[in-house]
Amino acid sequence: MTVHREEKIWAFFVLGLTVVFLAALAYAAWGLGLTTPYTVERIPAQKAAQELKPGVDCVNPNVKQIVNNVVVCQDGRYYVNVLAMRFTWLPNRIVLTDPKEVKFRITSTDVIHGFEIAGTNVNVMVFPGYIAEITWKVPSNMAPGNYLIICNEYCGAGHQNMYAILEIRK
Amino acid sequence: MATTPKFAVEDRFARVAILFSFVMLALGSLFGLVQALTRFPGLLHALGLDKVITPELYYTGLTLHGVANAILFTAFFIMGLAVFVVTRDMNINLHGPLLRLACMMAIGGTLVAAVPILLGQATVLYTFYPPLNANVLFYLGLAVVVVASWIFAAVVFHGIYRWKKANPDKEIPLGVWGVITTLVIWLYATPPLAYEVLFLLVPMSLAGMPVDVLEARLWFWYFGHPLVYFWLLPAVTLWYTLLPRVLGTEVFSKTMAKVAFVLYMIFSTPVGLHHQYVDPGVHPVFKYLHATLTYFVAVPSFLTAFNLIATLERAGRARGGKGLFGWVTALPWFKDPVFTGLALAIIIFGTGGFSGVINASFQINYVVHNTMWIPGHFHTTVGSGVALSFLTASLVLIPLLYGRQIVSMKTVKAAFVLWFVGIMLFSVGGYLSGLAGEPRRTYAPPYLNGVQVTAHLLDLMKSAASVAMSGALMFWLGGALFLGTLFFSVLFGKRVAFEGEVKISPEPGPASWFEKNLKLILIVGVVLILISYSLPAIEVYSQGLSPAPPQGPLK
Ligand code: HEM
Ligand SMILES: [Cu+2]
Ligand SMILES: [Cu+2]
Repeated sequence: MTVHREEKIWAFFVLGLTVVFLAALAYAAWGLGLTTPYTVERIPAQKAAQELKPGVDCVNPNVKQIVNNVVVCQDGRYYVNVLAMRFTWLPNRIVLTDPKEVKFRITSTDVIHGFEIAGTNVNVMVFPGYIAEITWKVPSNMAPGNYLIICNEYCGAGHQNMYAILEIRK
Repeated sequence: MATTPKFAVEDRFARVAILFSFVMLALGSLFGLVQALTRFPGLLHALGLDKVITPELYYTGLTLHGVANAILFTAFFIMGLAVFVVTRDMNINLHGPLLRLACMMAIGGTLVAAVPILLGQATVLYTFYPPLNANVLFYLGLAVVVVASWIFAAVVFHGIYRWKKANPDKEIPLGVWGVITTLVIWLYATPPLAYEVLFLLVPMSLAGMPVDVLEARLWFWYFGHPLVYFWLLPAVTLWYTLLPRVLGTEVFSKTMAKVAFVLYMIFSTPVGLHHQYVDPGVHPVFKYLHATLTYFVAVPSFLTAFNLIATLERAGRARGGKGLFGWVTALPWFKDPVFTGLALAIIIFGTGGFSGVINASFQINYVVHNTMWIPGHFHTTVGSGVALSFLTASLVLIPLLYGRQIVSMKTVKAAFVLWFVGIMLFSVGGYLSGLAGEPRRTYAPPYLNGVQVTAHLLDLMKSAASVAMSGALMFWLGGALFLGTLFFSVLFGKRVAFEGEVKISPEPGPASWFEKNLKLILIVGVVLILISYSLPAIEVYSQGLSPAPPQGPLK
């Protein structure tokens, strides 16, 4: 049972590094508000199409308009309900004009899907039976244009066809 | 046969298990080629292969690739290796009839599970997330393999226990430490998997019972993460024992090697939620708890890196290497293929380890989850650090177990180089295309051609993916070359007679703290698991389940 001096130094260095990493993660999560998605709302998978309610808290008179599951608030905040079903997203085209913050509420009518907006940090698992909720703070330098919404969890033989477009207008 | 009659039964087990594992690797890797090709939609179309390699074939092949390479190749090789190490290092016999039973059950279960996969009735990928539904034979076949592995573990532990009884004051050989920790991880990890399969998935498949997705995923990933350490520890065992042996030196620090094994053992199970960071329904505090434990399971890898590099330095200096880096060039890089294979495997694993620490980050996971980054990551870990170490070990095992010489070391070295360069291209390409958002497990998606989206990400996705897939083709070639050499050697290699003892571990000393406190260490492991899993389990069950009915994957 010998432990060399170099090994002790290295072990303490590694432990210190680990603690620093963990502190950084905790600070980012609870200091800067970058935690992981969390909801416990449940919804029957087969009735998801009828029962998925928009998670709006900017009610009248703040609501500018409601189009296609998309609720627009005065101040650039949006509430978007999305339904995943094999092999499409509903709606499969989402148009947002100068968005500042978007809250997505997403569920599935059949199997597990993955909701990803390529090139952003919007990436959440979508389960039948559960509503996934994710708030996206849109970067101010987000260029206008069409972005890809991809299904990134295998959901069956047509999985590769499951994508949608997010259009950002300024 | 070259082996001593004393281990006739054990060696027969090892021979069958190892040969079967390489057949699985060959089968699974065939579909690795198919997958790589599908990431070149243009090429596929130009060759007219898009009629042959359909999405159905791709997903069925992906299921087979995952099950055959990640589960069966690894498990069978590990069983063969464990028997070899334990019988030689401790000079004991194992319970023959039970060993034979475990072997027959494992192979039988594999064949039963293979039928529905090959018929396209179990295209649920190797993670088989419900409510995607497979033919019940798929679940039952895998369950039989798991039960066989339990019998196997019992046989090995029984042997070790008897040895310990007879040698209470002797240290457990280092290689056997590797075997013990590997099998303990497996026993920690598999009971919830058995629960998921027998009580959720089999009733779903047989009777259409709805399944709660969150509950199933919780127990699947409870098993899923320790599984990767079950793969890794035998490779680490080979690094700690075989590498010093071929260099004619001792491992730098046996004590720290044991510390690493013990830390791997107790920290590898309570971390499964790091695969569920972006799942709804699990509280961030529990995810953070698992993130913490995940960072701790990186510690033994850092200790191992230090220990191995120190061992290499010592060997290099003994060979006359001078100065700060002279010892690196003094090592027998391309002289001894066993050294070549293990050293390349360690380097590749090192890069994979860093990407693993990135994956473990609570927040960065958003960006990489389910993208090509992930295959980039795990082909450097299990697909290489582990697989390449196993292939290398077979250079030692084939002459000992089959009594045949490897026919050509030139092709072996060429295979290693192809593998190394290929896997590096594959992982770097995977990392980049993953950062651009390219999803994993996806057959040639139509948006890569023709859909008008904001362009530069798509371009990066496409070009990085081509780099990755050229790399995949390259290391596939390396693998094919190696396996070809191996099968040829087993069948036609020159016969070698073998006498004398083989041990892979250094000569054991007196029993240390670790031998005396093994029970305590095991209990600490169980307590960590109980803390880390009771909280999310209470949450999932107390909020009430929300089951969804099964769906076939191919309609
Ligand atoms: C020998 C050459 C190999 C090639 C060319 C290859 C290629 C690939 C590719 C391209 C993918 C990604 C599929 C996709 O997401 O579209 C993949 C997935 C995978 N590979 Fe490999 N691979 C090889 C060897 C291995 C080995 C040796 C292992 C493990 C021991 C392995 C384990 C896996 C696993 C677990 C997956 C994920 C399956 C899933 O997501 O369901 N591969 N492989
Ligand atoms: Cu989908
Ligand atoms: Cu999908």
